[in-house]
Amino acid sequence: MSESDGKKPTGDAQPPPPGAPTTHPAAQTGSSPSNPPAAAKPPAGPPGPPGKPAPRHPGFVTVTVDGKELVVKPGANMVDAVKEVGSEIPYYCYHPRLSIAANCRMCLVEVSNSPKLVPACQTPMAEGMVIQTKSARVHESQRAVMEFLLLNHPVDCAICDQAGECKLQDYYQRYDFRSSRLEGEKFMKAKRKVLGPLVVLDQERCILCTRCVRFMNEVAKEPQLGVFGRGSAELIDTFPGKQLDSNYSGNTVDICPVGALLNRDFRFRARSWFLSAAPSVCTGCSRGCSTFVDFMGQDTYRYRPRENEAINKSWMCDQGRLSYKSINQQRLAAPMLGRGEDRREATVPEALKSLAEQFKALAGTEGLAVLASPVASNEDLLASLAFARDALGVRSVYVGGRPDGAGDHYLMTPDKNPNRRGLEWVARSLDLSLRPFTELTQAITAGTVKALYAIGGEIPMDAAAAATAFSRLEYFVLQASNESPVTAQAHVLLPAAVHVEDEGTFTNLDGITQRFRRAYPPRADVKAHWAWAVHLAQEFGFPWAQVSAREVFREWAPRVAELATFDWDGAAPPVKTTRGINPLATGADGRPPGYREFGTPRVRGI
Amino acid sequence: MAHADERQTEDIEHEEASELEAHLNTKRMVINMGPSHPAMHGTVRMRVELEGETIVRADPEIGFLHRGFQKSCENVTWNQCLPYTDRLNYVSAIMNNFGFLKAVETLIGLEIPERAQYIRVLASELHRMQDHLTCVGAVGLELGGFSAFLYAIEARELIMDRVSELTGARLTTSFGRVGGLNRDLPEGWSERVSKSLDKIHELMVEVDGLLTNNRIFVDRMRGTGVISAQDALDFGFTGPCLRANGISYDVRKARPYWVYDRMKFDVPVGQNGDNYDRYLMRLEELKQSESIVRQCLRELPAGPVIVDDWRIALPPKAEVYGTIEGVISHFKLVMEGVPVPPGEVYDCTEAANGELGWYLVSDGSGRPYKVHVRAPGFAILSGVPRMIEGKMLADLIPTFDTINMIGGEVEQ
Repeated sequence: MSESDGKKPTGDAQPPPPGAPTTHPAAQTGSSPSNPPAAAKPPAGPPGPPGKPAPRHPGFVTVTVDGKELVVKPGANMVDAVKEVGSEIPYYCYHPRLSIAANCRMCLVEVSNSPKLVPACQTPMAEGMVIQTKSARVHESQRAVMEFLLLNHPVDCAICDQAGECKLQDYYQRYDFRSSRLEGEKFMKAKRKVLGPLVVLDQERCILCTRCVRFMNEVAKEPQLGVFGRGSAELIDTFPGKQLDSNYSGNTVDICPVGALLNRDFRFRARSWFLSAAPSVCTGCSRGCSTFVDFMGQDTYRYRPRENEAINKSWMCDQGRLSYKSINQQRLAAPMLGRGEDRREATVPEALKSLAEQFKALAGTEGLAVLASPVASNEDLLASLAFARDALGVRSVYVGGRPDGAGDHYLMTPDKNPNRRGLEWVARSLDLSLRPFTELTQAITAGTVKALYAIGGEIPMDAAAAATAFSRLEYFVLQASNESPVTAQAHVLLPAAVHVEDEGTFTNLDGITQRFRRAYPPRADVKAHWAWAVHLAQEFGFPWAQVSAREVFREWAPRVAELATFDWDGAAPPVKTTRGINPLATGADGRPPGYREFGTPRVRGI
Repeated sequence: MAHADERQTEDIEHEEASELEAHLNTKRMVINMGPSHPAMHGTVRMRVELEGETIVRADPEIGFLHRGFQKSCENVTWNQCLPYTDRLNYVSAIMNNFGFLKAVETLIGLEIPERAQYIRVLASELHRMQDHLTCVGAVGLELGGFSAFLYAIEARELIMDRVSELTGARLTTSFGRVGGLNRDLPEGWSERVSKSLDKIHELMVEVDGLLTNNRIFVDRMRGTGVISAQDALDFGFTGPCLRANGISYDVRKARPYWVYDRMKFDVPVGQNGDNYDRYLMRLEELKQSESIVRQCLRELPAGPVIVDDWRIALPPKAEVYGTIEGVISHFKLVMEGVPVPPGEVYDCTEAANGELGWYLVSDGSGRPYKVHVRAPGFAILSGVPRMIEGKMLADLIPTFDTINMIGGEVEQ
């Protein structure tokens, strides 16, 4: 949950540009400030407070942190800047993307120009300032702050969803590690207060850092939360008669450093230390927010936003956050042959053989059409459309995909398909023209299209109505991941993988192409669209031998002008590695992703 | 081959002269002792090349008991390594537990409470006695003296009873935690240990009488399995097997740890480096260990048995169930482990068979980055071919007994 913390904020401390003076001895030859020539000593100035010292590195601020020199840009935040020299300042209320509140007092440090400890998140760094983050005074202050924060905290770790990713736990063990001197009862507040459709609040666990309030005011720009009461009775709540129903309410759960705000969808479903995370991309709309997929075994449990300055900063919308559910529900597991009462399960070779025979007869005829979904990844589309053109001989492709929905004022777009731009690029590179879905239904009704090969089961209209149209088809081949009224009409139904089950790329509405990593492999007979295309091409006798999305990309992407320069390997986001509870990166040591030595997951299915 | 041919021709010539005086037409024979053989403690295989009954070559082959101990430790927290250490020398598991914990504590730079130090010495010496009793009894058993074995095992059983009262387990004790011990002595335990020691003393008189001056026993032990002092040093022998050569090296004296410097005990040394001396070493060390245990029981101070630091030791249960501070500390220690500062350490203790060394590397997380164990039995087993090549097959049995190889620690 602290994933989005501590990342680079806007105006963050950055290393000095090449050319700027450094502390390297070679850069300091000449007149050394510590040993100036005696004659150069300036005459004594007028009495009064000393003026500002001249900067040692013009254009930068030079400070000393725990005995090490640090050169930063003016205006850099101390909490982030000191990490450059290996120091760490703990904090709760500070967030690089929110305004400074300085109310948690955890980041108090000792500085040379103040007799009292100052909050690091709020204090501008001045030339020549000496900062101490590890002195006895600072440690005592941190210990005292922790004792106060835990004063009224309930004994909830065993039943708290935040356990394992809680900053109270982290900092207590690192900065306090002593028993409380509290005598008497704890102050009781409301527990399990439902704030909105996605968020539940435990006011006892809250440390009143106001991150959630500031987020709703400043980022979501929907002020729905406030701080009420004073003293021990102070608490976070929604305004009277209102609820937290913003489309960005889920982010308050992410930035809550403790277990006060929890996600109602995820709550009590899994303990955080059993989950592995894979860097991925949200497929909820064409924005393509960077995400982490948290999974266990072959089930996805939640999405969390992943930092991406170009697209979603540290946030994502609630609709996207809940879009993971289709990964787990109503998935197709095995190839099916036949429609209606004739339908039966088939093996993969059997399905491919039957399919290839029919396709060979239909290839090049006017009655055969191809439907491609912009939910599929670039790799899926590259291989599938290449097969459609070369083997099936089509000149145009109908566009499927999810129907448009609502957009909003920040991240969510009306187009609910993650890869429409990618589909346009791929089709253009293969000289395939794109035709709207309405033309397909008209053509089927008119009887000009008799057979259809659909890559992806998403349909941009009412599924039942589409199913009625598809029922007129004489031969309908469908590669889909989820069951729907449309899948019931298929003569050949092939189970397709979803994005978390394979690697690949999506291109969002702005033309930004992002890599996503595989979280876990698909179940037995489920294959990615590109893999079905390669298998079918082999049945046609084509010399295709790609065994991974990477090979597919390297084969066909150079022909797509926009993707030709995309560095597929280099763009791969690093696998999340956290120390402590989840020390093993996903699949990093050769084990199957999601493996934990604590045993196989006991929760199967959703 | 030419030589063999000559001999065969010779044989034929003599055959007519006297059948009885004829050379035996022998050839080298390779036999496998073990891995499943009652005299091959655990599951080690000795590939022996024989010429008649003379051992020409001996090749100990280990690995049948390999468990990936060192690698397994990297996946668990420091305290969770303890059950793995039990399975090293499983005859004296507590000494492995404590040796490992001592190395971790050295890496942290931690001194454990005095009472914990006393109890660690006490329990270690009890298990040293258990180890030596097993060894002494087994020597008698495998040379045909079954009675001595029964006496020794009866004595060992008394120690096992006391150890199971202390730790809850007969064999795999998993006793102690980083920073001290997980539990104090049970009520009335000290008295029971005293009584048991009295009984063990009586039993040892019987074993001593049955074996030490027994003609058959001495004939098979004395002068067999000899290794020179220089060879023993070169092979890396430690413990009773090294001291049987007259080299007085004992970690308890050379680098005293815990409260060994307050104990009065002697380190026996032998002269000949043969099986008989190694047997005598163990007999004498039994008496010294008994004396150390009695001293510990006499001097045992009161006080805590584990450090009072919630970064290292689990908080008391009342705190865990009743306060947020306690439950956080418990959670972090159980889930993430004791945060051992980054660094590396070699530390050793005197285990029953010699210097048990630990090379530990920490990267600052709650789990070991690397665990390597210097098992005393490994170095000693590697010296076995030197001790028995050119000797009789029958000598292999007492030699294998007195080096007291334990499969668990050699093969890890």
